[in-house]
Parts: sequence; C-alpha cells; structure tokens
Amino acid sequence: MNNKKYLLIVAIILANAIVVCAQTDRPTSIYKSILLGLEYELNAGVNIGGAAPLPLPAEIRSIDSYSPNLNLYIGGTVTKWLDMDKKKWGVGVALRFETKGMETKAMVKNYGMEIIKADTKLSGRWTGRVQTKYQSQQLTIPVTAIYKINSRWKVNAGPYVAVVFSKDFNGYVYDGYLREGDPTGLKWPFSDGARATYDFGDELQSFQWGFQGGVSWRAFKRFSVNANLAWGCNDIFKKTFKTVSFNMYPIYLNMGFGYIF
Amino acid sequence: MRILSMALALAFGLAFVSCIEKEPLNAECDIEGASLSGEILLNSDVDDVHDSVTIVVKNYVNVTSLAPEFKLTPGATICPASGTVRNFTDAQEYTVTSQDGLWRKTYKVAVVKNNPIVLKSGFEDVRLITTSQGGKYDEFIDIQIDPDTEDHVSTLVWASGNSGFALTNGNKPPETYPTYQAAYSLPGEPDGKCVAMVTRSTGAWGALVGKPLAAGNLFIGKFDPSNAVNNPLQATQFGMTFLDVPRYFSGYYKYTPGEVYQRFNESTNKLEAVPGKKDECNIYAVFFESTEDMKRLDGTNVLSDDNPNIKAVARFSSEQRRGASEWTYFHLPFVFRDGVQIDPEKLANGGYSIAVVMTSSIDGDYFSGAIGSTLFVDEIEVKI
Repeated sequence: MNNKKYLLIVAIILANAIVVCAQTDRPTSIYKSILLGLEYELNAGVNIGGAAPLPLPAEIRSIDSYSPNLNLYIGGTVTKWLDMDKKKWGVGVALRFETKGMETKAMVKNYGMEIIKADTKLSGRWTGRVQTKYQSQQLTIPVTAIYKINSRWKVNAGPYVAVVFSKDFNGYVYDGYLREGDPTGLKWPFSDGARATYDFGDELQSFQWGFQGGVSWRAFKRFSVNANLAWGCNDIFKKTFKTVSFNMYPIYLNMGFGYIF
Repeated sequence: MRILSMALALAFGLAFVSCIEKEPLNAECDIEGASLSGEILLNSDVDDVHDSVTIVVKNYVNVTSLAPEFKLTPGATICPASGTVRNFTDAQEYTVTSQDGLWRKTYKVAVVKNNPIVLKSGFEDVRLITTSQGGKYDEFIDIQIDPDTEDHVSTLVWASGNSGFALTNGNKPPETYPTYQAAYSLPGEPDGKCVAMVTRSTGAWGALVGKPLAAGNLFIGKFDPSNAVNNPLQATQFGMTFLDVPRYFSGYYKYTPGEVYQRFNESTNKLEAVPGKKDECNIYAVFFESTEDMKRLDGTNVLSDDNPNIKAVARFSSEQRRGASEWTYFHLPFVFRDGVQIDPEKLANGGYSIAVVMTSSIDGDYFSGAIGSTLFVDEIEVKI
C-alpha cells in the first residue's frame, strides 16, 4: 500500500514537471542538449501482460480467467543521436518505475509441488484449480538501439535490467485434490469452498533482465504514443525455489505516451 | 484505452489457450471400490493407507472360489483382471497400473467372514506407518484370536487422525504426533505400554487450511481423508460391526488439560484464548444400528440425542472429563435409550455396530482445545 502511495507521489511530481516545462517552453539547457544530439522524453502508461511458463507445461489444462490488473509505469528516456544531422540512428537509455502484475485462475492436473514451511516440507501432486496473484514493482533500465524511420515513426530494440523491490506472489488452491508424495499417495480432496492459501512473494527474484522492442509514433510535435514489448529472460523466482517447477517469464506490453522536450 | 487494454488482455488470453498442450494420461492407480456378484457381500472397504481391501461376506460363503470386481481410477488396469476367480483362504494380491503406465500399486485383498470381535486392549501392539513425507506414526492394532483354535482370525485396526496430521509434520517421529504409543503404563505393569493422546498445534501448515489444532484421538472406525479438509466432522467415521450386546465399558485413564484453552474462530481462521476455561477430555462408547444410510456414525451425529440409530451410550461424566492427575479406573454402563429393542436376528447378521471414541480435547472436532492437553488410556474393555 505504501508503495502505491509512493508511486502516486512520483506520478504527481512528474506530471507537474511536464506542465511546468510545457509552460516555460524549452529552457536553454535543452537547446544545449539538442546541440549535443541529446533528446529527452518523459513516459507514462500501462503494462499489460503476465508471468507465464513457456511453453505452457502439459500439467496446465486450462486458463479459466486472466486479468492484467492496472499496472502503471512512469519514467524518462534519454536518446543520444549518433548521426547529428540526419538523426537516423541513436542509443536510448531509460529509467522506468513500473509495476508488473496479473491475476489468473487455472486448472492443473497432477501438478508436482514441494512447499517448505517452518522447516517442514510437504510434497505432492495437485489436481484442481489454482488462483494466482502476481504483483511486483521494479526499476527498469533498458538500453536500446533506436532507428528513426521518418519524422513520425521510430523503432527501438535492446536489453534491459530491472531491480525488483516490491514482491507479491500469492493465491490459493481449491476445488481439487492433493496426492501426498506422488500419484500413489493418499488423496485429500478440497471442495465446498475449502482452500489452501500460499504466499511465495519472498521467493521472487530481485533481479530481472530481458529484451524489449517496440515502436514510437510522434502524434504531435511534443507528444508520442509508444508501444514496447518487454520479454523477460530469467525466471521470476529464485533458483532455489522448487514449488513452481517450471520457469515463469514476465512478458509485458508497455503502452503509453511520451512528452518530448 | 479501456477497449484497447481489454483487446490486448483477450489476445494474451487466447495466446495462452492456444498453447494448452494435449492432456497427459492419468497417473493414478487406485482401487476405488470392490464388489461380489450375488447376495453374499455384507460390505467392502478400501484402506488407502495400507493399500488393502477388506470384503466382508456372509458366514456361510465358501471363500475358496470368489471373483471380486473392482472399480479403478479411469484408464487404470488391474492384474489379475476384475472378475478372475481366486482362492481367498488367504489374502490375494492385485497390481493396479495407471493409465500412463508410470505408476503402480499392489493391493492386498482379503475376504473375511462376519466374526465376533473382542474389544479388550492394553495398547501393546502398534504398526509403524511411514508417511509420504518420510515421517512415521503409530497405528494401534489388536490381533483377534479364535478362542477355540487360537488361530489369528483378523486384525482390529484402531483409527486416529494421525494420517491427516502427517501432512503437516514432515519427517518427524511417532511421539510428535497427536496419537502415539507411550512407554508409560499402570503401576504393576513395568514394561507395559499405553496410548497417549496429545492436543497439538498444526503449525504453519494447519493454518493454511484453517485447521490450527489437532486433538489426539483414537477410535473404532475409519479416518476418511476424502472428508478431512472439507467436512472434518465427517472424516471421523465411527463404528464397526459388533455381534453382541455390550453391557459395560471400562479402563484406566489419566488426563492433564493444557495450559490455555483456545477457541477456533472460523471467521478469522485463528485460535483465540478463552480465559478461565479448562480443556476436557472425552471417552465414550456407542452401540448403534447400522443402516444403509448410516453405516457408521460421524462427528455430526455420534452423540446426538435425536439420532434414532443410537441404541445405547456409555460415556464419561463431566467430572471425569475434567481430568485425573493419577491413573484412574472408569467403569461405564451402556445406558440404553427408552424403548430400545435389540433384534437378535439383525444382531447375528451384523446389523449393529459399536464405536469407542477417546480424545484429548472434547472440542477437538471443532479445532478448539488447549495445546498440550494429554490423555493416557490403558487396559480398556467392552464387556458383553
């Protein structure tokens, strides 16, 4: 909750900054930057996507519901144009404060799990429904190559790194049964609203990396519309974590607007 | 924007759905039920803890050639096949293989006649059950001997909630369970054993499923995992066929209630201390008519005054329930309910059952009690 407040404050400050800049027109420092081939852009928008295993393992029988939730991002991009006169090629470095999350309900069959709690381990196979809520806040730094197709269209692609500082991954299992140990073990049905909750937030990685690529369309002189696909390359969970037996990769589309100074 | 995000969400959803792989074959290999053709079957019971099946037949049946049929997990196969004629003088083995061919279980199938049981136990015999998580717990058994031939006729297995507690208890040893055999017995029986029942916390695991406490218990009947999570009152299935009319239930007990009585609050899913309230144990036996719709009693009806199946009850007084700091003898008469008639023919045909129930916390079935409440019981007997 505190993080949400924090995010809101940052958003308000940045929004004010945009307004102030817009009123004063370009200060001289910006003109200097332009002469150096630097361009500044403030971005804000939403992330839509999820953390998913790729390919989906056969144990997952269906995805019954999926909600991307409202994931905001806000940040800035500095572009250094390499060819000063044509401004065709450039390098962009951005700083993005963003949330990535989702809520899903899935049906699994004979899904192997191992949970450790208070030094006690429980392993077994779950057949039934699983509700999952994933929510993380992170600071992402993409470094991308930028190519300007024409005065309106730009494309970019490159790697990113991210530091995750707020981590939630929780949910519950319901409407199904647990087999103790392996499929020959004792069967413990869950029905009539019975559920077992889980919370693996502490098991999420603090570091993520991946690639992003996308397009930017300059709608007006100072405003752009951006869409980037950010494809995570490492598991969202720590390597030591075995309960979720497959790797889950964050795959998100950032959609938003930019203000160009 | 909203429409766009919905469209994108849909696209992601579709992308997931299109990636769903072909359904894997079933990995389970259970016998779910057993039957015999004709009118010779009294009842059958699958025991998932021991992978065994007990088929009770009428006393005149010749067990040397019977062809039981089995209901299996969908897709699973059994060898020898369902309906194969075999000699059931001794228990026979069947192997069930899962649909995916990767898992198999060997079941022991026994056919027994409706023999009278002797309810007299010093709790000297236990079997060690190894759990799927590598833990071990005690299961109390009483070998039933034919008084004339001294042959081993059958094995009476006492039920407890230990198999449920096992899920929360990792690889820990028997004495950490709510019900275990203690080397602590009556004076004058130096090497004797007794049954110990202790109310335990189920820790972080129990909290996950809203069952924060487990009372020690031991009873005649069956602990049914299929109800344990959803309807725990119905997981304790009380009773076993009894061919005699019981008169008295006696034994020795010693009980120390735990320090703090806690009540389980279902809405908050937490235990709340109740100042001043003392935990109580409970020991009782119920003689009842076993009918098609009520073969066994359970936590919802075992002591109900308005349960028409119940014929007689032998139970602790409230004073006895509060405790006894030293070994104390109890002798409880079966009190027959008003106007009860026992039909001798029905009795001989297995129409009546008996339940013997002991617990370290009287409200344990509602996950309330005092952690640490300890009940020892020894040398019990139901006199006929």
